[in-house]
Amino acid sequence: MIESWKMLEVDLSSGTVEKENLPFESVRDFIGGRGLGAAMLSPFAQACARPLDGEVPMIFAAGPLTGTGIPSGDRFSLSTISPLTGTIMDTNSGGRLGKALRQAGCDLLIIKGRSHVPVILIMKGGEVRLEKASELWGRGVTETILRLREKWGKTSGMSVIGPAGENGVLYASIMTERMRAMGRGGAGAVMGSKNLKAIVVEGTGKIPVSDRKRLEVVLEESNRWLKAHPVTSKALPALGTPLMVRICTRAGIFPLRNFQAVAVGKDQAYTGEELARRFTVKRSGCTGCSIQCGRVTEYGGTSGEGPEYESLWALGPDLGIEDLGLIIHSAHRCNELGMDTISAGGTIACSMELSQRGFRSSSLRFGEAGTVAKILDDIAYRRGEGEELAMGSRLLAGTGGAAQYAMQVKGMELPGYDPRGAQGQGLAYATSNRGGCHLRGGYLIAREVLGIPKKVSGRQVLGKGGHVARAQDFGAVADSLSVCRFATFALAPEYWSRMVSAVTGWEIGGEDLIRAGERITTLERILNIGMGIGPEEDRLPPRFTSEPLQEGACAGEVVHMDDLLAEYYAHRNWPGGIPSELKRKELGLDKKRGRILHEAG
Amino acid sequence: MIKREGESFTRLAEEFARIGRTLFQAGLNNSHSGNMSVRLGDRIIITRRGAMLGELTAEDLIDVGLDRDDSGIALASTEVKVHRAVYAATSHLAVVHTHPRTATALSMERKNLIPVDDEGRYYFKRIPILVVEASIGSDELVRDLPGMFKNYPLVMVRGHGSFAVGGNLEEGLQLTHACEWSCDILARCLALGMVEEDLIGERTHGKW
Repeated sequence: MIESWKMLEVDLSSGTVEKENLPFESVRDFIGGRGLGAAMLSPFAQACARPLDGEVPMIFAAGPLTGTGIPSGDRFSLSTISPLTGTIMDTNSGGRLGKALRQAGCDLLIIKGRSHVPVILIMKGGEVRLEKASELWGRGVTETILRLREKWGKTSGMSVIGPAGENGVLYASIMTERMRAMGRGGAGAVMGSKNLKAIVVEGTGKIPVSDRKRLEVVLEESNRWLKAHPVTSKALPALGTPLMVRICTRAGIFPLRNFQAVAVGKDQAYTGEELARRFTVKRSGCTGCSIQCGRVTEYGGTSGEGPEYESLWALGPDLGIEDLGLIIHSAHRCNELGMDTISAGGTIACSMELSQRGFRSSSLRFGEAGTVAKILDDIAYRRGEGEELAMGSRLLAGTGGAAQYAMQVKGMELPGYDPRGAQGQGLAYATSNRGGCHLRGGYLIAREVLGIPKKVSGRQVLGKGGHVARAQDFGAVADSLSVCRFATFALAPEYWSRMVSAVTGWEIGGEDLIRAGERITTLERILNIGMGIGPEEDRLPPRFTSEPLQEGACAGEVVHMDDLLAEYYAHRNWPGGIPSELKRKELGLDKKRGRILHEAG
Repeated sequence: MIKREGESFTRLAEEFARIGRTLFQAGLNNSHSGNMSVRLGDRIIITRRGAMLGELTAEDLIDVGLDRDDSGIALASTEVKVHRAVYAATSHLAVVHTHPRTATALSMERKNLIPVDDEGRYYFKRIPILVVEASIGSDELVRDLPGMFKNYPLVMVRGHGSFAVGGNLEEGLQLTHACEWSCDILARCLALGMVEEDLIGERTHGKW
C-alpha cells in the first residue's frame, strides 16, 4: 500500500527548497495530477491572485499510475491560473519528465515566487538547485533542448519555454523535450513570468507498485483491448489525429475561415492521408505508449513534430489556407516559439474576419499564407501587429460590435469542430472549466462522430447534459491519473480502477473514480466562480446559436444552448449553474479539500 | 417536465422503440416483460408499467422525477425505484432490464458467471449474481443492486433476469445480448460434456 505522496516546494524568490510527505489517504480524494493541482491551487484562486505576478504557483503533479508501465501512462500534469482566461487551468504532457520526477522521489513539485534573473531548475542525484539561464534566455525551443541535452544527457526529462513564454504571450506553451506541448491556456507565460527557462530532471529510483502480480493481470487484459480497438491500434498509429479531417468533413462539422462556413464536397488537399503520403517522415509519440499517434514531418528542409488535427485546422483552413506544406511550416514554427497552435490560429483568424468586416486595419487576409509565417514571429516577440494578437482573440476583438467575431469561450479560442452539428460538443465548449477546450469540456466528438463508446446523434439535444457531465468527469479522472485520453477510448473506468488498486493498494471501483472526477470538476467550477467567472460565461459566440449552417450534413442547425444548459445544470445539481450545498456535501468537497491543504501546510 | 414535442423527443422515442423491438425479437424478453429508462437531467424517462417492449410508442414513455414522486409514478414501470437507485449511486445514463432465458437458468445454479468465449471475456470478465428473497421492485433490490454497478456493467439477479447500465440504451442492449450469448455458449459447451474449469483454464478473468 502506498502511504505517502512526496511533495517538493521550490521558492524561486528566495531559492529555498522544502520537502514534505503528504498522506496518500488525503491525496487520493483528488486522485493526483489535475485533481491534486486544483486542490492545492484553492487558496490562490480564492485570493484571486494574478497569474503573471509571480505569486501564483506552478504545480507539477504526477498521477498514481505515472511511470508504472501502464498503457499510455507516463504523463504528468501542470496546474496554475491561466493568464489567457483567468480561470483555473491544467495542462498535461507526455515525454520523460513525469516518470523522471517520480524516479527522483518527487510526486508533486510546487514552484512559487519569481527569480530575479533567468534560471533553470535542476533535479539530479537527490539535489535540487537553480542555475543561471542567461545563455539560454531568448533562444528557441530546439536550441534550448539541444544545449540542455549536451550538458545533462539525453535521458533526462526536460520542459522548456520559448520566446513566446519569455515575452508573456498569453497563450504561450511549455514544450516537454522538443516534441510534446503543454499547449492550452498560457502556462508558458506563467513560467516566463517567473524567469524560469527550463526544468531538467534526472531520476533513477524505483516507482512503487503495491501488487505487481495483480497489475500484470490487469495489464494483460488492457493491452489486449488497446491492440484490438481500431482507433488505438490502426487509425491513430497510421494517420495520427489528422485522420479526423476527412471524418469531420463528412460529418459536416469541419469549420472554415473563423467558423464562417464548413467544408463540403470532395476531399481537401490537407487530409491526414495526404499528410502521411507527402510529408510524414516517421511515426513518433510519448515514451511508454503503444499508440504512437505523433508523426515527424518534413517541409522546406526542416523537420518537426505534427501538425496534430487541431494545429492543422487552426493554421490552415481556419485561415483559408490549404497548402499543407505551409501549414506544417506554421505548426513547426509555433512549437519552436513555444506557442499554442489553436489559440495562435484562432486569434489570427479573428483578426482576418475583423479586417474582412472593416473593424480593423490589418495586413492579414484569409487565404494569404505569406503574412502568417511573419505574424507568428511577431506575436512571439510582441512586435508590431503581433503585440495585440499576443493577447488572444477576446481582447483583440474588444467589447463592442466586433466581440462576436472572437470564436472563444471564457477567452480560450475554440478548436476545429463546429458545434452546430455536434450539440454535445457545443455544451462541452461552453462549460469547460478552462475555457473553450474540446478536451476539458468532455470530448463529445468521440460519441457524436466516432461512436465511442456508442454513437449518439450530433443533432440530438435531449440527453446531452448527462453525456457531457459524464465525459467531463471521466476526463478529469484520466487527467488526474495522468493517462492519455486516447487510451480511455479503449478502456472503460473499470479497467483504470483495477490498475489504481494494483498500483496503490487502494481498493476502488470504476464508479468511485468517476465520483472523484465529479469532485474535481465541481471544485474547479467553484474556484472559477470565486474568481468571478460564473454561469454567465457558459456561452458560445452568438454565431453558433443564431446563424444556421448553410451547407453540408448539418445544414440548418444552430446550437440549442438554453435547453442544453438547463439539462446539464439539472444533471449536476448546479441550480442556475452554481453547485448546490447538497452537492458539495455529497462529494465531501470542503472537508476533503481542507484536509489535503492542512496536510500540505 | 421533459418537452415532448419536437425532433429531439421524437428521436428519443424512436430509440426506445428500436431497442425495445430488438430486445423482444432477440428473445431477451417475453411479450410484456422487461423495462428500460434513460436519465435526462433530474428526470427519468422510463417505460410504462406493463408495456410491450416490442411495440413501444411515445405514449409508453413515462416522465418521472429522479428523486421526487409526481403523477408520472402512477404509470411508470414497477421497477422504477430500482432504476432511480441505480442513477443515484452511479454516473450511468441508461438502465435496461430483461429476462434472458439461458442466463437466468444458469443464475439459479451458481454464484457468478464467467464467460468462456472471447467476446464475453471482453465485455464482462465476470458477471456477478445477486441473490435476494423477493426481486421484483423490492427494497432489497434497491438496497443491494446499485453498488454492484461500481465495478460491473451488468448484474444478474438470481432467478429473475439481468440489469445492464451504460451511456445510452444501445449500450444496455449490447451488454444484455452479449451476456445471454455468452451464457448460451457456456450452456452448449456444458451440454457437450466439456468441463467448465478447463474452459476457463489459465484465464485470469475469474479474479477480475
